[in-house]
Amino acid sequence: MTVRRASDTAEMPGASGAKPALVLRSTEFRRGREQGWRELEDLVAKADRGGLGALSTEELMRLPLLHRSTLSALSVARAIALDRHLLLYLENLGLRAFLVVYGPRQSMLEGCRDFFARGFPAAVRAAGVPILIAFLAIVVGTVAGFALAASDESWLAAMVPAELGGGRGINSTREQLLRDEIFAPWPGFTRSFITFANFLFRHNALIGIMTFGLGIAAGVPTLMLLTYQGMVFGAFIGLHYNRGLLVDFLGWVSIHGVTEFGAIILCGAGGLVIAQNILFPGRYARVDNLAIHGRSAAQFAVGAVFMFFVAGLIEGGLRQLVADTAARFAIAALTGAAWLSYFLLAGRRERP
Amino acid sequence: MSLVQDRVSQFLEGVTRSRREILTPEGVALPVDLADHGERAVALIIDLFIWLCVTVLLYVTLIALVVEGKAVEIAMTLILFIAFIVRNLYFVYFELAWRGATPGKWITSLRVIDRRGGPLTPSAVFARNLTREVEMFLPAGVLLSAGTGADTWQKLALLAWLGLFTALPLFNRDRMRSGDFIAGTIVIAIPKRMLLADLVETRSRYSFTPAQLDAYGAFELQILEELLRRPRSAETMTLLHDVCGKICAKIGWPTTIPAAEVVPFLTEFYSAERAFLERERLFGRHREHKGNPPR
Repeated sequence: MTVRRASDTAEMPGASGAKPALVLRSTEFRRGREQGWRELEDLVAKADRGGLGALSTEELMRLPLLHRSTLSALSVARAIALDRHLLLYLENLGLRAFLVVYGPRQSMLEGCRDFFARGFPAAVRAAGVPILIAFLAIVVGTVAGFALAASDESWLAAMVPAELGGGRGINSTREQLLRDEIFAPWPGFTRSFITFANFLFRHNALIGIMTFGLGIAAGVPTLMLLTYQGMVFGAFIGLHYNRGLLVDFLGWVSIHGVTEFGAIILCGAGGLVIAQNILFPGRYARVDNLAIHGRSAAQFAVGAVFMFFVAGLIEGGLRQLVADTAARFAIAALTGAAWLSYFLLAGRRERP
Repeated sequence: MSLVQDRVSQFLEGVTRSRREILTPEGVALPVDLADHGERAVALIIDLFIWLCVTVLLYVTLIALVVEGKAVEIAMTLILFIAFIVRNLYFVYFELAWRGATPGKWITSLRVIDRRGGPLTPSAVFARNLTREVEMFLPAGVLLSAGTGADTWQKLALLAWLGLFTALPLFNRDRMRSGDFIAGTIVIAIPKRMLLADLVETRSRYSFTPAQLDAYGAFELQILEELLRRPRSAETMTLLHDVCGKICAKIGWPTTIPAAEVVPFLTEFYSAERAFLERERLFGRHREHKGNPPR
């Protein structure tokens, strides 16, 4: 560029007193709207400190209006203003207000209520195929475990870790199983309902969450875990079958097993949904697809944890109290029917 | 527009942040800064510390009850149950109640948001935090509890598992944990910005011709703005002095600017340049930087 001389007036500092003052559209624009931005900033700061509840009704009404006008101001500023500081400020304010306006609207309690009333059963209804696959995996495991343990009981030790066996094994006699396991005396309220139920709940919930979370690894560990759970179950069936305790044992298991296996199947199905969306993303990018379906899959895991809680209560507290196989089957059928009608019927009405 | 700002930060500070854009439901694109790995680690450590304190408090209560000899079994079970609940609901509760921030994230000013700019739903919060159990608590619990029958190979496998999931944010563009993948969320940093006074000086003593103002574009203008907004240390003053000299040479300013006049001169040049470029912009002539030829 050629060097040019500035005009004469510019060379004399202070000589341009008669020059009209500079008018910038961006400055005028800012002057007109600054009040609103400051107000929004105050509201956001207030909500950040004390939550949305700290805002009065009028302030709550103002918040989205101010948020929108700030965002529109940002759009205009991007088109007309070159004031970097102003743009950064508006982007920051817009984002902070966005977090307040579009943050989670439900508290944990409301979220839970909505979840059990419609979210959970709706998610279960929507995932028929993964549930079927998870169910089949358990059935396959059970059959295999039964076939192996019924023909050769030394398989039992290989399949069932010692702490899970609880002393039951190849050396247990029919009388021992009847006395210490199936019709063991009720250990009293606190021991059964609080201590044992709690242990079972924590143990099972961890297994369930693991089954779900391992869906990330393309679902293979999920299927393996499901099959393994089935095998342990099948092996115990085989052990009792060989001692002529099949019906009593099934009654002893089914009273809580309906709920517990339901929960494990749901956890597994959740893991399979995740695996399916990682392996076959369809028309979306893998990550986007996972984000769309991952949440409903996680609903499975949350609901299943609740089911484990119920199962733990039944297993720890109720099972030894009801020392009658027929009554145990009746309770099992009842819980089965309750879960089924809950999953099939609940939350079908439109959201109010 | 945001492209220019990116270049300005890059020029002045080096690239410090990875930026992503979310589209709000109003249809406005907002740039967000991804949280650094370090910030997230600090936030997690603070959260774990709080959780640890609560748990230790629970265990102290337990020990006190044992020493007193009252209802040990019930107390122990209740405490284990509460510890389980606290561990699993701590993150969920705070991310719902504090709009995407746990205490640790609050202190480091991080937030969890939906990756596409939608509202953060409770199911997303549940989803991203339930996987923590699998990623972290479960293997760490087995590793730390000595003598539970886990042999060396098992421990190594668990360690690898733990390391893999901990390192996952290092291996993807958006620094997402596995929980973030499932829930479709990202963790961002939101520093708070104050609105400062406009730099524009409307009463001008110097005047510049359009040809002189045409020497620069938006990028140079915003660099100048940043420099003028810096605290006036000796270092900044030297820098401003250099900049002033370069501008004078570029636009062919006839006189030298005395040291005391540097800041007023640059402020006025900034005002005139901005007025000029904004006017040009209104006519559809965008000049992003000086290499961009005037049209």
